[in-house]
Amino acid sequence: MMKFVRVGAIVAAITLSLPALADGNVEAGRIKANTCMGCHGIPQYNNAYPTYRVPKLGGQHRDYIVAALKGYRSGERPHKTMQAQAANLSDQDIEDIASYLEHSPAHK
Amino acid sequence: MKQIAMIALLGLASTAAFADGAIAQPPKAAACFACHGENGHSKTEMYPVLAGQYANYIAHALTEYKDGKRKNAIMNGQASGLTKEEIHDLALFFGSQQSDLYTPSVHGALKQ
Repeated sequence: MMKFVRVGAIVAAITLSLPALADGNVEAGRIKANTCMGCHGIPQYNNAYPTYRVPKLGGQHRDYIVAALKGYRSGERPHKTMQAQAANLSDQDIEDIASYLEHSPAHK
Repeated sequence: MKQIAMIALLGLASTAAFADGAIAQPPKAAACFACHGENGHSKTEMYPVLAGQYANYIAHALTEYKDGKRKNAIMNGQASGLTKEEIHDLALFFGSQQSDLYTPSVHGALKQ
């Protein structure tokens, strides 16, 4: 009986810790997101050609940002600059950056 | 003189419409709500928030989906039937919604 309780406790502990692992490290993301701010941290910043504003990322869903960065990294999603930026990101880097952007402070 | 006054009035009217986010809902917007939430306030992690995103970025994304440059099984299908005008109207509509989105910064306290 005690054995079941112990196993149950371990399973519960692992399950509870999973979301934290999947969420990425927000403070690591703050550092890794520095480069992003060269374009995405400037209100109304324009993509040169074709001309449109680079999207607002603050408050965007993290899973969507993860999918976007992985799409750029694999080359499936077009955009030369973003492909170059994403090329050297690890899965962990992407998780960290996405977690950070979802809760990042707003530009002042 | 009358013409200048008219133009000035029109300018004021359109500015007011933007400020309110009171752009009329285009006929095809309701289809977007199914995934992207009412008025683009997506509650689903995989589907991006559209409310308050820059209109010309939304138009760019829809155009890339329509042309097949950006690949997504759902969005390619959705965008393929849109005209240039419909893309323009949808982009303005979602872009004018009160925003959940903002320009991020690496400085300051995290939002909850």
